[in-house]
Formats: sequence, C-alpha cells, structure tokens
Amino acid sequence: MKLTIAWLYPDLMSTYGDRGNIIVLQKRCQWRGISVKVEEITLESRLSNLEHCDFIFMGGAQDRQQKIVGKDFLENKAPVVKVMVEKGIPALFVCAAYQLVGHYYKPYQGEKIPGAGIFDLYKEHPGDQKKRLIGNVTAEIVSSKKTIVGFENHGGRTYLGKDLAPLARVIKGFGNNGEDEYEGAVYKNAIGSYFHGPLLPKNSHIADWLIAKALEVKYKKKISLKPLDDSLEWQAHRFIIAR
Amino acid sequence: MRLQNVLPIVIGKIVSSASKLFHLGAGATWPGEIALRLSPNIFAEFASQLRKGIILVAGTNGKTTTSLMITQVLEKQGLTVVHNASGANLLNGIVSACIQKAAWSGKLRVDYGVFEVDENSLPQIIFYVNNSHSREPFEAQDRRGNPENDKTGSPIGSGMTRQIVLVLLNLFRDQLDRYGEVDVIAEKWKKALLRLDTGNQTIKPYQLIANADDPLIVHLASSASRAGLEARVTYFGLNDASQFQKKMEHATDSTFCPACGARLIYEGYYYSHIGVWKCEKCKAKRPTLDVSDWDYPLPGLYNRYNTLAAVTTSQALGIKKETIKKALLSFKPAFGRQEELVVNGKRVKLFLSKNPAGFNESLRTVIQLGAKQILFVLNDRIPDGRDVSWIWDVDFEMIPGNISVAVSGDRVYDLALRLKYAGITANICENLENAFDTKETLYVLPTYSAMLDVRKILTGKKIL
Repeated sequence: MKLTIAWLYPDLMSTYGDRGNIIVLQKRCQWRGISVKVEEITLESRLSNLEHCDFIFMGGAQDRQQKIVGKDFLENKAPVVKVMVEKGIPALFVCAAYQLVGHYYKPYQGEKIPGAGIFDLYKEHPGDQKKRLIGNVTAEIVSSKKTIVGFENHGGRTYLGKDLAPLARVIKGFGNNGEDEYEGAVYKNAIGSYFHGPLLPKNSHIADWLIAKALEVKYKKKISLKPLDDSLEWQAHRFIIAR
Repeated sequence: MRLQNVLPIVIGKIVSSASKLFHLGAGATWPGEIALRLSPNIFAEFASQLRKGIILVAGTNGKTTTSLMITQVLEKQGLTVVHNASGANLLNGIVSACIQKAAWSGKLRVDYGVFEVDENSLPQIIFYVNNSHSREPFEAQDRRGNPENDKTGSPIGSGMTRQIVLVLLNLFRDQLDRYGEVDVIAEKWKKALLRLDTGNQTIKPYQLIANADDPLIVHLASSASRAGLEARVTYFGLNDASQFQKKMEHATDSTFCPACGARLIYEGYYYSHIGVWKCEKCKAKRPTLDVSDWDYPLPGLYNRYNTLAAVTTSQALGIKKETIKKALLSFKPAFGRQEELVVNGKRVKLFLSKNPAGFNESLRTVIQLGAKQILFVLNDRIPDGRDVSWIWDVDFEMIPGNISVAVSGDRVYDLALRLKYAGITANICENLENAFDTKETLYVLPTYSAMLDVRKILTGKKIL
C-alpha cells in the first residue's frame, strides 16, 4: 500500500514543530510497510500535485507568513482542498490552518478576513486586553473518550457552527474559546485543532486513525493497522496528563 | 549624581553583597530590581556616566559570547568595562551589573558599558539610553579624562563624545510562548531604532553593527539608517562557499523578503535563513561586507558570526587589529557556551542550545568535533519557554549511528520520543545527576535552565 501526503506550505506554515506531524505519519506508515511520499505544496506548486494526494496537512504560521499564504490559499489551493475534504480525504489543520479553513477571522481591529469555508466555524479576536490562551492542554475526544494532550498558544477564539462537531472536551486548559469547554472540530475525516505544532507525536492514536482513514478512502476497504510498540508515546502522553 | 539616586544604589549594593554572602544566587537581578523600584530612571543615570560609550548586543543567538568578546578586547586595550556577564539581560540585570561595578558613592567610573540585551527589552533600553543624552556626560562634568592620555590612540575616544553602538546579530524563532513571533519582535525593534536620537552633540551618531547574512536584520538596520537619520551601519558576514549547506534547513524564519514579501533567492545557506541572499522583485540584497574574515578562536559556524560581530564592533570603537587579535587569541568561552568542565577526571563540554537554529548549529559542531557521547537536557521552565514543540524542528536525524545518546530534563520523554522518530534509541536518565557517568568526553546540549542545573551538579554553582 502507498500513501501520498500533501504538506501545505512547509516553508511558510510551519512555525513551531509542525513538522513533527509529518515525521510521525511517515514513520508510522514505514514501520508497517506502507510506503509514503510527502508532496510539498507551496505558493508555486501546481494544483495537479495536490489533487492526487491521500492526506492533507497544514500547520501554523506567523502573521506575516499567513498574509503571504492567504491569497494563494483562498484563490488556488482551498477550492481543491474543499473538494478533497468533502470526498472524505483525511486532513489535519492545526493552529493558523484551523483558522484559515473557517468562514472568517475577525481581528480586534479592522475588517473581517475571509477564510476558506471548509469548516463551519468562525474566529474572532476579543481585543488586545484579553489574555492569550497559552499552556499545556489535556482533553478527551468526544466520540472515543480517549485523551489527547498538547500545547496551545492563541489570541483568537473559535466558535463552531451548529453542524460542526467538536473534537474533544477540555479537561485542563482552554480549547476553542475558553468558554464552552470544547477543543477542535471534526468534519468528515478532517480534524482542526488549536493544539499547535506537533499534535501527533504524543497522540499516536490520532495519527493511526488518520492513516487508517486515508487507506480506507484510497483502497475502499476496511483497514486495521498492525499495532506498534507505543510505550514511549504513552509515557510522554501520560506525563502531560499528570502535570 | 543626584542624591535620590545614590540611596537605591547603596541599597542595591547591600542586596548584592548579601546575596553573594548567603549564596542566595539572586545577585544578578534583585539589586537592580530593587533600585529600579526606588528610582525608575536609574539606568539613564548610569548610562550618562559611562565615559566613552555604551555597546548594546541584541539578537536571538550569540549575545553572551559576542558581548564577552567585546569586553575582553576593550579590557586588553586597558579600558574599564561594566558588563552583564551573568547573562541577566533584562533591565534589572543590566542595572544590577552597574550597581555591582559602581562605587559606594553611586558613581560608575568606567569607560564603556557592554550589555547583552534581551530581544523584548531592547526598545526599553534604547529609551533610557536616549534619555541619558539629556544629561551631561560624566567626563564633561569633572574632566577626569584627558585626551592626551587616551590609550585607544583613536580620535573616537577623545573624551568629550560618547559612542552608542548597537550590535544586531540575528533573529530566529525562540520561545514563542514567551517572546511571541519573530516578526512581532522585529516590528518592536524597527520602531525603537527609528527613535534613535542623534540630535545631541555630546554623542557620536549611533552606529549599527549588523549581520549582513540575515535578511531581517539587514531590513531593520537599513530602515534605521536611511536618509535623514545619522546612524551608520557596518556589516559583517561570511564569504565562504565551502560552508554552504547542501539544502536549506527546515527551521528558517526569514526566507521571504522583509521589504516586499517575495521569495528570496539564495546563492547559498550557511545555517537556518542565514546566507547569501537577494530579492529579485524589490532588488534588495545582501549588503557588501565590511568585515568577513578573522582567525576564529572557537569552533562552530555560529561562533564565526559572534567573532565577526565582536571584531567589527571593536574596530568601530577604534581598537587596532593587533590588540583585537591578542585579546581573542586568549578568549575563554562564556559559561555554558562551549564551556569545558573537568569533573573527577572526566571532561564535560556544555553547548547551550535553546532554539532550533542554535540547536542545529551546536549539533553540527559537536559532531564535527568528533563527539562519541552526547547528552540532551530539555527543561520547560519559564527561561526555557514552556512549550517544547520546537524540538521537532531540530534535525536530530544528522546524528551518526556510532554516537551514543542520552536524554534528561523535565521533558525527558518528549526528547526520547523525538529521537525515536529520528531513528535513535536514547538512554533515558530521569535523574540528571546520573547522566554524567561517562568514559569519553561528554558533550551536553542543554536548554537554559537545564544548563544551570548541569553546572550546579558539576561545579556547585549555577552561574559564575
């Protein structure tokens, strides 16, 4: 079996360890004999390179980089990503990407910045007097009750539309907006999350869920992945829960 | 010296002596903190007393080594210097260094202040330095300095004018939860640099010493020295194609033109986004280098930059090449920065590594030095940044299979996990004290607070 991973804007949307997600997907496939190709999609890349991919990852960006990406993403790549997500191709959008796939972002001052509208959510910044939501987070996935751990660092607050399911319930930390106790969102096989950077290394069960979904969609059959020795992954995971 | 400023200094000196006497270990910041609460403007007062000038060293990586090099050169020249050698580089740390050096009368009788400055604190420090212009320089008050006896042998040290030199080393992603984004810092610097006051006749125009190979630094330096402002920029950088990396590292920040946003074209990368760059859209490009070569006293490409920055600064202060050469020949590294410790006959070398760009450089250097055993220590305390995500941007994959690797620190499992995905099985030392049982020279790459922990275990002292 073979998977092609689309890594959107690795040179612009990779701020703090986002690469960890790609490394983990690659290794966990290789360890199971699934061959992997990473297709780096950036400003100059052709859409045909994106369309044939089996998985999409897009990470965090600083403001300046996000501005550079914004126009190209909305005009060129986002319509293709939307079609792919609608078809059930799995995707992971963290941090700034989670913001870009919503309807819009309303900064503290100035006009609304339109998003790709792939997820039914919007984001707003409550003003520079409101604190940034920063720290280690623990949450419990709504559907499976499995825990996820990570680090969040965001000024904006995210509000989900009524047709969009949250990914997890926050146990410790802030999550989407620090109010409704939810974190992230799931739409079809795509996940959005405020857990920034390397979400997958300490949450290998999410990595495997995404790999299995990608293979199921591609090969149109039920996939059960060979288990791996994840004791170190869980040790790092439990360490955050115990903090 | 105004009387209301003497008391805070005296109190600060008492706190400083007491913390040393009782080993409280807080001597680097508390004296300054207390003095600042009593006299918020005290740094402007100190700055106005420096006879010949003030040198501020800023940037993500290399501040401590560069400022120590400059200090040692100036001292070799026979000049007196106040320097925040402990690495405490916020306003309170810089004021503490001044207090320790000041006489009990409150007077700071030294030629130069050489201070490494925290990225976020640079605008505040510049503000106080600007404020110090409105005061008479110390030398003009009592004519202590006689130009005839000036040992620098250059017109610059002529006594009546003071020099203000800003050394801009580099800007990399570092502790996003604490510093914010690189661009946010760059924006703050830009505003602060534009406020540089050159109207006062008792100081020379500001001088900027800038890294030509960092596009963002060049953007900042050139906008601060554009027409209408008097500040001059002198550029240092490397002209050595043999040092180019085969491909660009993942951990880069400024690979798009800071002026116009177009993708930069590189003739070659030295490390991270540091290299020989140009923008084909707005025609910005790496400036001509004023200083690009020296006999480097320390291994590591990043130390070439630190050396070039120190040499360029020293030359701008009128120090002769021969003196700089002599001073750097006997240069001893700063604590934790390639510092070598011998404990029970075992050699341990410390390479402070606190962000992806610096970590990759340290790693490349220890591999080139032939390391057989490496220990990584990762903490997530406030001085390290609470967020350890950045370890996934470090290229641990470059470690050859014959090197044995151990990990420790608060986030030992995160580190072991990162290494697992780089194909390396690390020896997990939950207790740092057990990590030094080694036959070979042990190369230790710690984050900041981890470096202090290691020094505490090996030398009994965290800092100096």
